Amino acid sequence: MALTRREALKNLAKGTLPVLAAGCVSAALPQFAHAEEERLEANPKYRKTDPANALGLLYDATRCVGCKSCMVACSQYNELKPDTRQDGIHQAPPALNYYTKNIIKLWRSEDGSDHSYFKQQCMHCIDPGCMNACMFGGLRKDEETGVVWWYGAKCVGCRYCEIACPFHVPAFQWDGFNPKIVKCELCRTPMQKDPTKKQPGCTKVCPTNAVIYGKRPDLLKEAKKRIAENPGKYYQSKVYGEHDAGGTQVLYLSRVPFDKIGLPDVGEDSIPSGLKYSHIAYKWLALPIALYVGMVAFAGKNFSEHSHHLVEDQKETGLRAQL
Amino acid sequence: MTRWQRSVPVYGVPVFTRGFWGLAALIAIGLVLTAYREVVGLGVTVSGMSDPFAWGLWKTFNVMVLTGLGSGGFAVGIAAWIFNNKKLHSVMRVALLTSALAYWTGLIMLGVDVGRPWNFYWVIMPWQWNVNSPLLEIAVCMSLYASVPLLLENLPPLFEYVIYEFPKWRGLAETCEKLMKKVYPFIIGLAYVLPMMHQSSLGALMVLGGSRVNTLWQTPCLPLIYVWAAAFLGYNCVTLCLLLAKLAWKRDLDPVVMAELNKITVYLIYAWTAFRFADILLRGKILHIFTDGYFSILFWVETVLILGSAYVLSTEKGKKLSTMFNAHLLCAVGGMIYRFSPTTLAFSAKANSFYFPAMAEIIVCLAFVGVAGLGYLVAVKKLAILPGTNADWMKMAQYEEKVKPGIQLTGYAPVEH
Repeated sequence: MALTRREALKNLAKGTLPVLAAGCVSAALPQFAHAEEERLEANPKYRKTDPANALGLLYDATRCVGCKSCMVACSQYNELKPDTRQDGIHQAPPALNYYTKNIIKLWRSEDGSDHSYFKQQCMHCIDPGCMNACMFGGLRKDEETGVVWWYGAKCVGCRYCEIACPFHVPAFQWDGFNPKIVKCELCRTPMQKDPTKKQPGCTKVCPTNAVIYGKRPDLLKEAKKRIAENPGKYYQSKVYGEHDAGGTQVLYLSRVPFDKIGLPDVGEDSIPSGLKYSHIAYKWLALPIALYVGMVAFAGKNFSEHSHHLVEDQKETGLRAQL
Repeated sequence: MTRWQRSVPVYGVPVFTRGFWGLAALIAIGLVLTAYREVVGLGVTVSGMSDPFAWGLWKTFNVMVLTGLGSGGFAVGIAAWIFNNKKLHSVMRVALLTSALAYWTGLIMLGVDVGRPWNFYWVIMPWQWNVNSPLLEIAVCMSLYASVPLLLENLPPLFEYVIYEFPKWRGLAETCEKLMKKVYPFIIGLAYVLPMMHQSSLGALMVLGGSRVNTLWQTPCLPLIYVWAAAFLGYNCVTLCLLLAKLAWKRDLDPVVMAELNKITVYLIYAWTAFRFADILLRGKILHIFTDGYFSILFWVETVLILGSAYVLSTEKGKKLSTMFNAHLLCAVGGMIYRFSPTTLAFSAKANSFYFPAMAEIIVCLAFVGVAGLGYLVAVKKLAILPGTNADWMKMAQYEEKVKPGIQLTGYAPVEH
């Protein structure tokens, strides 16, 4: 199709306008471009893990047969009480909750012609929203493996992590006076306790290797290999989690659209990057301090004027001045 | 024409009215339920919260909405002390009292809402802070504001109470008052910077909510729009308190000050609405105000309530007291809906998830609103809060001196400066 002049101009405008706008913004605010990196570097506790060492999972929904043995293994490894509240017999939780760190669900199309099993657990984001939300570091990343884990001594139970997680992963214990946040920690604690355990419960027992464990770069390579070997098999030939939400350590392959299997379209920016403008406002506390100094100056001037007026008034009326 | 000159207590009416006991009963029930919540947790018997809707009324209404309504101390204060609007000094005590009650009850509510409050002590150790967290910013700034500047600003009426009622302690109270006057500009500077920070961070909270907050509300400018809404809500609240005082205790209104309050409210709202529309337009979401079904309707409910009330206030009709009252009330409702929307009404958590507060949750929520109401009723009757004239003060003094022999409310030697 021939390119008309009108279209060419339109495309030119489409291409240049955002660049111009971005240029203006970054020229006006030089710190803008680096705010994100500095935010992460500011506190070593919250620094990004080297993604080369980051551990994760690769879940291939096309291989999952829905046997749910990973759910049983997860409960055993993490010493969680199976959630049998549905019928009193079966471990059949409706969603991730404080009994359930890992769940297998079934998606079925409305006419019943298509279906897919899918697994849900923590995605172990490279730049997690939950950790950014947490006030004192109750959720933190393991410095070596990048596993996001819950540290109870720092958790206030505010549940902001649940608001900040686009995958609805952290679960709050709604019963009892001493509640916990429960989420997948890639069997970090069981593996520390028992060195013979070399991998998480879910990958250990999966009969079809639908979910495998390893370093993120290796998993990514494997996922891309599967896509290359089976052209057209995987949805959009895409690995969910490679870039989504700034990149996650748990990667997904699926035949059906990702939003059908609980993976929302969250864009490629990490969740915390939504706050980059706010971080500029707080940089070195410069703006609040400048505001404070200015306000004290104005208030001081106006206050002495007002006090003077009060004293005059008091003399005149004989009634005690009110501040 | 009445000109407000000084604050005068509400006199000649009993403190322990039927309303007082009604509120006290509500508070008592609320406290019992709070104790019950501490034992059994936040589960279904106590609250309607769930993992998808992790925040319920106690945070989203008592804190995020009501501290907006209680932003008078900050919003009116800036106009009075920073922009030197002298007319507004007479209503500052009302503004500060409403702020203090909203913030203090809000903070208690936060303590009830969180699951592991005993870990909150980390807040006094700055090296333990995650400075990237908007909630940390709120936890630090809000507690600091409520416990230092807001507390200090509310002390002068108490000092005066001591001076008049307990002559033995008069010397001490006057010394404290003098000290306060020396540092007052430093206190009020803090009293305006801290709320600007945490009221905007309340908006920043929901930025991390991402696409779950409907696009009409979700914007990188949410913090700014949120603190701006708090500003006009503060004016709504102060004006409503003054109008209610006229209704309940026949306190005369100063038409000049009322007109000034209305004028500032109207300008704040016009600018706020323009900014909000500009934000939606620049993000390219302007069509969503018509095409998003329920969310579009919610957006228009907010806009019509707020903007419509502001328009009515700006006309001649708005000078009629009943119209003024209704306009401020509807505007406050609209503003409160706006502050409530990102967390609840315009928050799409997850398919098939739903939040409606449990009965116990509603009662506890209202009980702590009741604490604020009760505190207000007692304070305006015991302390010089509501504005009046020097003549009102003389009348009050005559009455009090008759009821309480020995008390002296007039003819004091001027305080030295």
